[in-house]
Amino acid sequence: MSHAVPRVEIRAAQQLKSLMRDYFLDLDAAACDADRRVAWCTSVGPCEILVAFGFATYFPENHGALLGAKRLSHQLIPYAVSAGYCAESCSYMNSDIGAALRGVSPLQDAYGIAGPPRPDLLVYSTNQCREVQDWWNFFGRRHDAPVLGICPPTHLGEITPAHVRFVRGELQALIERIEAHFGEKLDRDRLAEVVARSSAASTLWRRVLDTARARPAPISFWDGLIHMAPVILMRGSPAAVAYYETLLAEMQQRVRDRVGAVPHERFRVYWEGMPVWPRLRDLSDKCLELGVAVAASTYCNSWAFEDYSGGDPLEWMARASIAIFINRDEPTKQAFLLEMVRRFDLDGLIFHNARTCPNNTNSRFGMTQRLREDHGLAVLSVDGDLSDQRFFSTAQTMTNLEAFVEQLEVRRRPASSAVSQEVAG
Amino acid sequence: MSAVPLYVGIDAGSSATKCVVLAADGTIVGHGVVSSGFDYAEAADAALTLALGGTGLDRGDVACCVSTGYGRKNVRGAQRHVTEISCHARGARAWYPEVRGIVDIGGQDTKVIWIDARGELVDYRMNSKCAAGTGTFLESVAVRLGVPLSAIDALAMTSTAHSVLNSYCTVFTGTEVIERIKSGEPRQDISMGLFRSIAARVFEMCAARDGPIAATGGVVAHCRAMLRALEEIFGAPPLLPPWPQQAGAYGAALLAREVDPHDLDERPRSAQSEVSA
Ligand code: SF4
Repeated sequence: MSHAVPRVEIRAAQQLKSLMRDYFLDLDAAACDADRRVAWCTSVGPCEILVAFGFATYFPENHGALLGAKRLSHQLIPYAVSAGYCAESCSYMNSDIGAALRGVSPLQDAYGIAGPPRPDLLVYSTNQCREVQDWWNFFGRRHDAPVLGICPPTHLGEITPAHVRFVRGELQALIERIEAHFGEKLDRDRLAEVVARSSAASTLWRRVLDTARARPAPISFWDGLIHMAPVILMRGSPAAVAYYETLLAEMQQRVRDRVGAVPHERFRVYWEGMPVWPRLRDLSDKCLELGVAVAASTYCNSWAFEDYSGGDPLEWMARASIAIFINRDEPTKQAFLLEMVRRFDLDGLIFHNARTCPNNTNSRFGMTQRLREDHGLAVLSVDGDLSDQRFFSTAQTMTNLEAFVEQLEVRRRPASSAVSQEVAG
Repeated sequence: MSAVPLYVGIDAGSSATKCVVLAADGTIVGHGVVSSGFDYAEAADAALTLALGGTGLDRGDVACCVSTGYGRKNVRGAQRHVTEISCHARGARAWYPEVRGIVDIGGQDTKVIWIDARGELVDYRMNSKCAAGTGTFLESVAVRLGVPLSAIDALAMTSTAHSVLNSYCTVFTGTEVIERIKSGEPRQDISMGLFRSIAARVFEMCAARDGPIAATGGVVAHCRAMLRALEEIFGAPPLLPPWPQQAGAYGAALLAREVDPHDLDERPRSAQSEVSA
């Protein structure tokens, strides 16, 4: 029997809906307008440069996530596989390629548009993975559009001035190539304004996420996955800044009113790795039923960049692009997770081992073991995938989650009442 | 001491449903295993009937029932559902207080559970989606070997060669078996190799932990070759409970003894204390 506990919905969600509609309708309009240009960009790529150039920016990973959330990926991936893409490569990429080959898009039903806008330019950064490069190249060939990118140094521990200088140089070269291709100069003042807005939205987003330090957490990972859309899609726009001001005010009010994302919050955990888009509802319902608030996550924090306080905007972009979690080495990631456990006062961590995204999976090189053994933390690792539901077993994952809560319950009991020894019959 | 009230644990597994009935003092007064079929509720009833058979006791004497296993939420009359992970740990530890690792090899899944000296769960793993390393795997490869499942254990025990099957997945293992038969490898060696490949999967799931290990589950209950393979890879024979297949049900029954009847009015605190409809 499930025990649905009423949740207080986040009011800003209504505003978000219209913001998303405006965004996609504008993208569609830009694609149809001979005087406007569309650029595709990776989610943690150099989109501020594109916005400053005046491109309408579109993010294919968002489309991959939508395909997953609508449970279309597993039907579309086979088309990408038959076109030569490995079935165990990024399921965002494979479902997006499959969707293009089949002419399928959730944007059709959601916004009444044909699908993703036709690109005039595709720009990537391999700060997250090398897959995006080949994904973008597929669409570059398909639309006969230039594909440009930067390849920053990866798996960094300490970030040195040399790293930042190198990436800044890459960004400068990218600007020059765009200028040469489109015969247009980048307005540097405009870039500084866009970066300032991008940073402002990102800072507000981080403050929104930080409200979950309160007990009960007013916002959970599951809510964050919806409300993070503007900080990715509308980065650099005034709309994103305005949206996060509204959302932050609402979250702060929820903290004052002690309104929790999980009404009867019993445990607070961290979600490490990618979301399981096709099973978000099942997972969030299970957490609700178990009284588990997923109060912090790597994923939602991926767009919480450092503040920009004036100065060289390219340097800020360079630093932001390599400082992100996914681009760091194992010890830095582990230190970040430990700090999150401390800051958010968490009871444990859940690692998602996403079959098709080794890049954003951190349970493959002993980290879960180290967190358990060296730091005494409760850690659960679940197998699944971001979009391809064929790699996910609902029954097994639910049992794992329930057992995790049983483990957390026992850990919380005073030592004297731990499981007593039984007399065997 | 009178046997009543009784405490019942039912482990509704994907292949078999197991039941253990405890007297008020915790001694096992009955147990039974039936095939799960397609209806967990019916299988649970049948398992309870079997467990009570010959005891002179009946359902009216049951004070509390805790269900576990894949079909735990379908068991009628269970006051609580607890995961098989906690129940197996509980059952195995009651038989062997010194146990640290529990290796459960069941029909559809294999679990490895680690507990500390207080019985607290430290770590647990379940096989990922594929059937390799489970009873189902054994069943499907037996077909390739042309040997009935019931005969594969005795056959494997006659092997003296150190044969191991190398494939990770059930389908590839099936192909490997055919290739080996064609190349003239004796079936007993291939059979033993099969158990070794399951043991290797289990060992991988153990994450380099130490401590006495108990083996539970249907495959362990029915196959000495499984124990032999586990002993080879772990370097010591695993502890073998008196009823390895019933470890989860036993753990559930022990938990049933601890349920505070007043708690049952409370809406669930968790999965562990979820009150079923
Ligand atoms: S980070 Fe992972 S999910 Fe994202 S594009 Fe790369 S491989 Fe795909």
